[in-house]
Amino acid sequence: MNAAVTKKQIESTLTDRFGDVFERFERLPPKTLSTGIGEIDNALHGFPRGAITEIHGTASSGRTSLLLSALAAATSQEEICALVDCSDTFDLSSAAKAEVDFDRLLWIRCGHNLERAFKAVDLILHAGGFGLVALNLCDVPAKTVRRVISTWWFRFRRALENTPNALIVLTPIAAVHSCAALVLEVKSEASVWPNSLSLLSENRYSSFTAQPEHGGHLSLVQTSLPTFSSNKDSHFLQAMNIRVNRERPVEWQTREIKFKAHFH
Amino acid sequence: MFACIYDRIASKTAATDSENETGFSPLVDLAFTFSPLVEQTKADTVVFDVTGQDLLFGTHPNVLANELNAQNDSVRNVADEIARRAAKLNLKINIAIAANPDAAIHAARCCKGTTIIDGDDVLLHLAPLSIRKLDYSLARVEADRAEEIQETFALWGVCTFGDLARLPLAGVAERLGQDGVRLQKLAQGKTDRQIHLVRPPIGFEQSLELEDPISELEPFSFILSRLLNQLCANLHEYALATNELRLRLVTERCLEYRLQSGISAANEKDPTEVGVLNTCDLHERTITLPVPMRDPKTLLRLLLFDIEAQPPSAPIIKVSISAQPVKPRASQTGLFIPLAPEPEKLEITLARLAKLVGGENVGSPESLDAHRPDSFRMKRFRLATQRKKSRSNLQSVIRNPQSVMGFRMFRPAWRVDVETIQGKPTRISARGQASTRIRGQVVCAAGPWRGSGDWWRSDVWARDEWDVALVDPNARESKVICRIYRDLTNEQWFVEGIYD
Repeated sequence: MNAAVTKKQIESTLTDRFGDVFERFERLPPKTLSTGIGEIDNALHGFPRGAITEIHGTASSGRTSLLLSALAAATSQEEICALVDCSDTFDLSSAAKAEVDFDRLLWIRCGHNLERAFKAVDLILHAGGFGLVALNLCDVPAKTVRRVISTWWFRFRRALENTPNALIVLTPIAAVHSCAALVLEVKSEASVWPNSLSLLSENRYSSFTAQPEHGGHLSLVQTSLPTFSSNKDSHFLQAMNIRVNRERPVEWQTREIKFKAHFH
Repeated sequence: MFACIYDRIASKTAATDSENETGFSPLVDLAFTFSPLVEQTKADTVVFDVTGQDLLFGTHPNVLANELNAQNDSVRNVADEIARRAAKLNLKINIAIAANPDAAIHAARCCKGTTIIDGDDVLLHLAPLSIRKLDYSLARVEADRAEEIQETFALWGVCTFGDLARLPLAGVAERLGQDGVRLQKLAQGKTDRQIHLVRPPIGFEQSLELEDPISELEPFSFILSRLLNQLCANLHEYALATNELRLRLVTERCLEYRLQSGISAANEKDPTEVGVLNTCDLHERTITLPVPMRDPKTLLRLLLFDIEAQPPSAPIIKVSISAQPVKPRASQTGLFIPLAPEPEKLEITLARLAKLVGGENVGSPESLDAHRPDSFRMKRFRLATQRKKSRSNLQSVIRNPQSVMGFRMFRPAWRVDVETIQGKPTRISARGQASTRIRGQVVCAAGPWRGSGDWWRSDVWARDEWDVALVDPNARESKVICRIYRDLTNEQWFVEGIYD
């Protein structure tokens, strides 16, 4: 308290001599980009523009679900997006279900080359105009991501400053550190499997029946040989419960964010 | 001063359709060698401005003492030069030079050879000409009216230009109106009009033949820069832009081929071989631009990226660039439209990305209408020009309360070792690229779903899919949910991807 008062006194004394050098400019609230998930938008107000957002988590934790929602939200707002896919794992089927507008998406497949991925992000950020840039390092081993020199992150942060663009980095572990304005850790809490399934093949002569296995596990065992079917939109995992933990910026009171990602 | 050249042969044979490669008649081309201010009055008549030509062709030093003689001599030199160049082109022409374009036209049509009319001697030269030679179109008199006036002149006994010129102006105006006045001025050689200029050929092609072959990109970039600067200046002059650039490089090897094949063809008397060998070794590239551009720096970068990606096979000895002229881009931006990359900058960025990761790995994905899993193609990324009809607001973005579960597709699918009990996977172990692996005990499995297709093709696919949840007791990671499938064509198991 005393220190604060003393600082104010010094500033007021020196104002006549040095002008308004001590006057802090009003800092505008950061602009954000919708994540496309109501629960996260309510808690975090979206991904910050002009900054890096890092989403990390283990395999099947829900990082891609979050990314697809953000891409869908951004493209629906007529933003031009870029996805730098280091391991070439972008799935068009799930992206189409998430309503990502492919006409506004620039997809760069880097063929498992980390250096190319970083150079591609650098080119895109310096070109400007891309509302959302995503760097997908999900399938890069954690030890490789850990060895990425921090210069890249500083360079990206510098390129993003004072721009309306947002960069999302998906990593297996936290790697961006202080260069990220927002760090989210995602975890999959539970997966939802169907309780019962009754699938008929084309000729309807053979059928699948659900047989509950030990420990609540579900298994579908074919009762007879199924005939060939060309329907490829049939998957058994129905949904995942995903928990999002904000690691940065740290606040005293954190609220647990949860959302559910469905297959359809 | 105006010079008129009249083609005697063309007027007799009516062979007026002959055009050379520039699209103009030889008469117009001849006129363009003297002046850019050229009017093609008729197919056989061309008028052009020769004012100031004496500075080019000069006067004889012996006649400099007399100013009038010097002027006449310089005009005579211009006329001689025109005649000399016409003779080179095998043109049989009459030449007339006068202060008035219409007087020059009439003199050229009626007087054989070269006629030079001084300012005061117009009537002297025109007076003896037959009134039938009067060009009514120069006085903007229509054909029907011209016939009436001709009959009137015949009734009046007007037979020559001089007769018409000497008639009282008021009387002509009373009887023939403004048409008569204009015709009388035409006969007197006193009309005052601007010539209707022929537009010179627009050059949207630049080429340069090099003295020494160039095999490196950096020195070649200076050549390209020079040509593109000129090309873009031409486009800018006509308020145009281009959406397609064609680059044509003649390489040294091509020249060698041409010479060798030319010799061999001459020996073997097979002219077709020359053409085949000449065309097959030319390096031609066409760059299609998504939006019209005329910035030479942007075009230069795009060309350099393209040459770097697909370089010519031999040193370059001749370069030619042509541009397809189109109207420039006109776009109206709005305050509430999200920021988009600048088209020029985006093209350069895409070219750089293509250079970095390969052209086939950059673009917009497009799902194919096929049942085969993961069937898609990459298409060229273009900025969406059409806006959506109803623009969604921020609240409507969160339109789908159920977010979609993501899936990461392994390309290519990982080979996996699967332990099964009664056909149901119980344990799997797979190793992917970059030493990543998926292994563990299957704690939850659902399947199979059998799918197949393309049985009429060689790459038929048939498989049983399973969704499995794995737990690896030795790994730090929690449960991994992935999709595996058994390829029924070879009975091997693969991991297609991971739910994420």
